[in-house]
Amino acid sequence: MLSIVTITLKGIFRDRIFQGIMVLSVLFIFIPSVASLSMRQVTELSTTLSLSLISFIMLLLAIFLGATSIWKDIERRYTFSVLSLPVSRSTYLVGRFLGIAIFMLIAALFLGSAAIVSIKIASLTYPPARPLLWSAIITSIVFDALKYIIVVAVAMTLATVSTSFFLPVFGAISTFLAGTVTQQVYDYLQTPSAQAAVSVVVRKSALVLYYLLPNLSGFDLKVHAIYAIPLNTQGLLLSAVYFLIYIGIVLSVGALLFARREMK
Amino acid sequence: MSAVSRPVVALLVSLTIYCAVLGPFTAYMKQKPIEEKLGYLPSINVLRYASADHKELVGASLVMKVIMYFGGIAEKQQANVIVQPPDYKGMSGMLHGAVKLDPYNMDAYYFAQSFLTWEVKQYKLANDLLDYGMKYRTWDWMLPFFAGFNSAYFIKDYKKASEYYKRAGELSGSDLSKLLAGRYMQESGQTDLAITYLSAMEKGERNPAVKKNYQTRLTAFQEVRRIELARDSFLASGGTLPVSVDNLVRSGLLSPPPADPYGGQFYLEANGKVATTSKFAFAGAKKATTQNAGETR
Repeated sequence: MLSIVTITLKGIFRDRIFQGIMVLSVLFIFIPSVASLSMRQVTELSTTLSLSLISFIMLLLAIFLGATSIWKDIERRYTFSVLSLPVSRSTYLVGRFLGIAIFMLIAALFLGSAAIVSIKIASLTYPPARPLLWSAIITSIVFDALKYIIVVAVAMTLATVSTSFFLPVFGAISTFLAGTVTQQVYDYLQTPSAQAAVSVVVRKSALVLYYLLPNLSGFDLKVHAIYAIPLNTQGLLLSAVYFLIYIGIVLSVGALLFARREMK
Repeated sequence: MSAVSRPVVALLVSLTIYCAVLGPFTAYMKQKPIEEKLGYLPSINVLRYASADHKELVGASLVMKVIMYFGGIAEKQQANVIVQPPDYKGMSGMLHGAVKLDPYNMDAYYFAQSFLTWEVKQYKLANDLLDYGMKYRTWDWMLPFFAGFNSAYFIKDYKKASEYYKRAGELSGSDLSKLLAGRYMQESGQTDLAITYLSAMEKGERNPAVKKNYQTRLTAFQEVRRIELARDSFLASGGTLPVSVDNLVRSGLLSPPPADPYGGQFYLEANGKVATTSKFAFAGAKKATTQNAGETR
C-alpha cells in the first residue's frame, strides 16, 4: 500500500502539478492591492479572495487528479502490470486515493501559507475592525482540503466503473455543486411555505438525496475565517467524523465496483 | 514554406491584427455608457445556489460592481459632464442581493447607507437593511450609529434613535454616539447633527469618490449652519425673520455670502428654514437651472 501511495505522489510531482500550483500562487501577491478597493473591510476582502482562490485551485486539483488517476492507469494499461503483483484491487484503489489525498493536504499547506502572508500584509496596511482569528483561518483551509478530498473519493469511485473520463469529471463537478447546496435545499424544505408548496414525493426524494450526497456545507468555514467568528468545536468534530465515515463508504463502494470490473 | 516558419508567420499575422484591433476595441469599451456598466442581476436565489461555496466572493464582487459604477458617475458629475443620474434602484437591488449572499459584508451596508438616505430618501428601507445587518454583525457599532442618525435626522423618531445610539455607544465605548444620543434629539439641533455625522463619515472614508461626496455635502451643511446662525442673530436683534438670504448678507450678518457646492442658490422658506434650489444634489441644481431658464423664456 505504502509503495502505491509513494508512486502516486511521485507521479503527481513528476507531472509538474505542484509547479503549476506555485505559478498560480503568484496571484496571492496581488490580493492585498485588489482588496484595498474595499471601503470598510480590506482585510476581510483579502481573506475572502485568498480563501476563494485556494478553494478554486483545490477544486481543479480534486476533479482532475481524482477523475483521471484510475482512468489513465486503465487506459495506459498500467493497472495490468500493477495488479499482476501481489496487490489487491482494493489496496490499489485506496493507495491511489491516499496518495492524492496527501498531495491535496500538501497543496493546502502551501497555498494556506501563501494566503496567510497575503492576509497578514493586508491586515498590517489596513487593520481590521476585529482582530484576525488565525485559528479560524487555518481551520477553514484544512476543512476546505477535507471537502475536496471527498470530491476526490467520489471522482475515483466513478472512475472505477467508467470507460471514459467524462463520467468521473462531470460526475465529480455535479456532486460538488449538489453537495454545496443540499443543506440549503433541506433547510428550505423544512419551512412552512415549502411544506405547503412542494409535493410529498419531491420532498421525500430531496431528503434521500440529502442523505446520499456529501454535505459539503459543513466544511465551508469561510464566514468564520473572514469575520473572525468563533468556531463550534463540537460541530468541527462531527464534521471530521462525517468526513471519515463518508470517505469509508464511498471508497468501499468504489472497491466493490472495481473488484467486479472486467479489464481487457 | 517550412514547418517552423508557418506557425511563426501565423503568429506574426495574428499579433499584427490583434494590435490593430486592440486600439479601437479599448476605445469602444471606454466609451461604453456608464449606465450599461451596472449590468443585470439574476435572481438572488439562483445566485445563491450557483455560487456554491463562494457566496462571500460573489457578494463582495456585487458590492464592488456597485462601487465602481457609482464612482464612475460621481467623477463625471464632479467634472460637470452630463450623465444620467445613477440607477439607485439597481444599486439598491444589488446591495440587497449581496447581503443575502453574505450578511456580514460591511461594505454593502456602508454604501447603501450613503445613498439610500441622502439621495433616494428611502429611510425605512435603509433602516430595515441596517436592522438585518445588526442581527449578524452583533459587534459592530457603526450599523446602530447609522440607524440612529437616520431615525433622528430623517424619520424624526427620537425614541428609536436613542435606542440605536445607546447600542452604538455600548458597542464602541465612544463618546460620539453618547453625545448624539443626548444632545441632538431635538428639531433645533438637526443641522449640527448632520454636520457631526458627516464629519465622522468623511474622516473615516478612503474611497475618493465617496469621500468627495461626503465633503461636498458637509460643506453644504456648514453653509446652512452659517445661514441659520445669521438668521437667529437677525431675529434676536430685529424681532422678525429675514425675508431672504440676501437680506442677511446686506445686513452684514452673513459674510462672505454663502455658496452652495452643488451649484444651487440658498433661500429661506416662509418659516425661516434654510433650503436650496439644488436640494443638495448635482442633479437638483441642473434641474433648477433648466426650470429657471424655461421660466425666463
